[in-house]
Amino acid sequence: MIDRGSLAGTVGAYLTGVAVTSAPWLLTTAVLASLRLVARLGGATDFVQTERIITLVYALTVVLSAPVHVVVSRTIADRLYEGRLDQIAAPLWRAVVLTVLGFLILGAGLMRILGVSLEVGVAGTILTVVVGTQWLLLSVGGGLSSPTVVLAAFCLGAPLSIVAALAGSHLLGLGALGYLYGYAAGQLVTVALLLHGVAVALPAEVDEEARLTPAFAEYWLLALSSLVYYLSIWTDKIVVWAVRGRAAAELYSGLSAIAWFSVIPAFGWIYVNVETAFYRRFRSLYGALEAGAPLSKLTEGATQLAAESSRILRGAAQIQLAGTVIVILGAPPIVRLAGMPPELIWPFRLVTIGAAIQVLALLEILLLYYFDLRREALLISLVLLGGEAVFMTLAQGLGLSPAVGFPVACACAALTGLALVRSRLRTLLADTFQSQPFGAAT
Amino acid sequence: MSVIDSAKSMARTDVCMIVEGTYPFVAGGVSSWVHDIVQGLPELTFDMVNIGSHPGSYGEPRFQLGPNVRSLSVLFCRENDSTQPLRGPARTALARRIRAIRRRPLDEVPSRTLRGIRRLHLDDTVDDELIADLGSGDLDIASFLYGRASFEVLLEINQRLAPSTSFLDLFWHFRAMHVPLLRLLAAPAPPAACYHAVSTGYAGLLGAVWSQASGRPFLVTEHGIYAREREMELARAEWIRDDGEDDGLAGWAPAPSALRQLWSRMFRKLSRIAYHQAARIVTLSEANRQKEIIDGAPADKIKIVPNGVRLAPVAATVGLGGSGAGSDQEPTAAVRPLRVGFVGRVVPIKDVVTFIKGCDLALRRTPLDVRIIGPDAEDPEYATRCRALVETLGRQDSVRFVGPQPPAQIYGDLDVVVLTSFSEGQPLVILEAYAAGIPVIATDVGACREMIEGRSGEDRQLGASGVVTRVAVPQDTAAALVRLAADAGLRRQLGEAGRQRVRAYYQRGDMLDSYRAIYEKEARS
Repeated sequence: MIDRGSLAGTVGAYLTGVAVTSAPWLLTTAVLASLRLVARLGGATDFVQTERIITLVYALTVVLSAPVHVVVSRTIADRLYEGRLDQIAAPLWRAVVLTVLGFLILGAGLMRILGVSLEVGVAGTILTVVVGTQWLLLSVGGGLSSPTVVLAAFCLGAPLSIVAALAGSHLLGLGALGYLYGYAAGQLVTVALLLHGVAVALPAEVDEEARLTPAFAEYWLLALSSLVYYLSIWTDKIVVWAVRGRAAAELYSGLSAIAWFSVIPAFGWIYVNVETAFYRRFRSLYGALEAGAPLSKLTEGATQLAAESSRILRGAAQIQLAGTVIVILGAPPIVRLAGMPPELIWPFRLVTIGAAIQVLALLEILLLYYFDLRREALLISLVLLGGEAVFMTLAQGLGLSPAVGFPVACACAALTGLALVRSRLRTLLADTFQSQPFGAAT
Repeated sequence: MSVIDSAKSMARTDVCMIVEGTYPFVAGGVSSWVHDIVQGLPELTFDMVNIGSHPGSYGEPRFQLGPNVRSLSVLFCRENDSTQPLRGPARTALARRIRAIRRRPLDEVPSRTLRGIRRLHLDDTVDDELIADLGSGDLDIASFLYGRASFEVLLEINQRLAPSTSFLDLFWHFRAMHVPLLRLLAAPAPPAACYHAVSTGYAGLLGAVWSQASGRPFLVTEHGIYAREREMELARAEWIRDDGEDDGLAGWAPAPSALRQLWSRMFRKLSRIAYHQAARIVTLSEANRQKEIIDGAPADKIKIVPNGVRLAPVAATVGLGGSGAGSDQEPTAAVRPLRVGFVGRVVPIKDVVTFIKGCDLALRRTPLDVRIIGPDAEDPEYATRCRALVETLGRQDSVRFVGPQPPAQIYGDLDVVVLTSFSEGQPLVILEAYAAGIPVIATDVGACREMIEGRSGEDRQLGASGVVTRVAVPQDTAAALVRLAADAGLRRQLGEAGRQRVRAYYQRGDMLDSYRAIYEKEARS
């Protein structure tokens, strides 16, 4: 779209970026928010239980599916790059089956721990399986099939979830149980559409002997890094819950959800630029290397790639800055519209600043993944996770809002990431050649 | 170091003999020569050090080691022949090691070994310091492969010698060049009164380093000229991508690519290192001596000791004036084709292809019974190519691959021996043929011309004992074959001259006496 050179093409490209990066979680957030609203309006205590189940299911599936889908996505990407297309389908279907079985067990375990009734437990378990599978297919489908497949699946599944949940609870008179089943049914539609999209996109050749297990041994660092990052998404909420109690955590969670809307433009911009300009530079360098380019060309390519990385980081920071400033200035009406007390205006601003900084940390992780620097990516995630736990607790200990610690933690992660990206880009060529454990004689 | 038999190697031996890819695992001229030396000097003790490619590259020894061989050690240039990437814990462990190495700061005092490696390529001089640097042992293979300092050296080599070469190729060649060196240099030196390398190259380097470290004298014997033989191989090597190969212009390149030159320069430097450290350089012929001098060997160090054969047993087996020389009793060429033998390994450097083409051309004019006598397992691809050529030419009935045979069986059934090698030292095959009274057709390489036409005035008076041909010109070989097939008298005359030449100049006893004297002087010093 960008290559068309028209304003419409450029706008279209960025909107696609926004849609691909943000639509699934935006739609999911909207669904969850609407359900909360409906549940509260319903007033029944079992709706509180339903809301808790849905929140826990999402937390569990987001965190635990992350290592699986990142490894499966990376493996499929590798097979595509190598042209070993027959090695894709069998491991993917195995991953899907394992995900279903794994979340079946986890979901049942969670329901058991929550001590819910059998009917609710079955619904909760089904929801766990459906959502867990959805994350895997979202990740894989985004790479294998067209972005429109993913968007269509969420655009259809999300409203259906609401409609089915409302129908289950109100029309069928099943109350909270109807909510759960209806919601799960709507999400099942998303899963079905994603499954269909992925199945259609899969290469026809299939090697049934292709295994998935070696990929986990190969990419365990990637899996760990992903697990830690997704854990960090929930850590701030857990800290607030631990130091301030459940009510405060719910408020904080709501603040956080709204604050994260401010990163949508930057996400779109990052998606488009990483997938276009940066990727071209990246391919140009490594294509030249494989084609036998002399050192002068490689040095030039590495310099351009480093410059492109800096440009993307600067560009993302500038766009995010604009979005963040607007949200900070508009914090009072936003907080008021969200039905939250005015004393949450500053915590909201702090979380918005933290989210903005975390966008940069996330971009740095993405860049490091491009260069296969998994250990460094893990380090950023660990700094973020540990920083949230430490600084938010510290802020509470100092008599401040725990939200003060959030941007500090994000800043630590982003600065660590910046230092790592810069240092690795400085030695990119030498590292590319010398850091590969090829099994050369030692 | 893989020590096959180290039980007796604790004490210092008289001679530590270092060979590359030959004795006792590979049959051939050099191996036979080593065997002769070791067997012929029973009063001396030997430690044999064989430098091989990788574990598993050798089969069973082809020679029985004598009681005076106290140990046989095999050093390998490569750890294994696997091209499979590492997986699992091994890969993780290596990745951890790489990170640790790459975290190290650049040393203020760089590795001496790395300095030596740098000098191999970027400095034209050879001195004691270079040998000491290379032998310093302060650079392990992992540090070389993954260390920042070695990458700096690579960048400098790239900038100065190969700026337009594929850096990816250069990177891997840089590793391939030096990992064998580091692996070999890490081997401990067997204690010996003197070190004797039977070539320059890796063997020469090892001998030079061990000699300098121990203060014991070092001898080099060159049969072929190592660096030049490597250059010939490099010129044909398909594992080196030439500049511009991808754009289809490589074939027009007027000069060897930078990568080929890099390899070539290193091998020449290794030869010069051996020449520098050697107390004595022994070669087989005047032709080789001149080449060594051109390549940097000090003239005063060079001594010519020709190869030698046992005259009596071989001659007795064949019989003087026997069929080999065309006796009166032999059937005429009209009823029995000329029996032509190629005796040697079926490998590219012997240019068996030219031999087959030459025979094919000659067969158009005269009947021949051609045997290719020698092992063909060393380069199966080349051997297959040679067999295919025979089939393509439709000469299966006239040209046969008979495999290796003991010398006593070979020459009694031949009228002419042909050599078409690209490179030779002083082929034992020629001497064995002479001892049997058989004339030789050989290319003008190594000592072949002086072996056929005579080295000195007195030698030349014996007359020619064969025909000298140009390298890679099958027409020359064919013409010589046709001429000898047509003239039994000429064959007899040439064969007789050869026999007299061996008796006068190429007796095994003379060769052993020369080496005994050299060892006495150097090893007992």
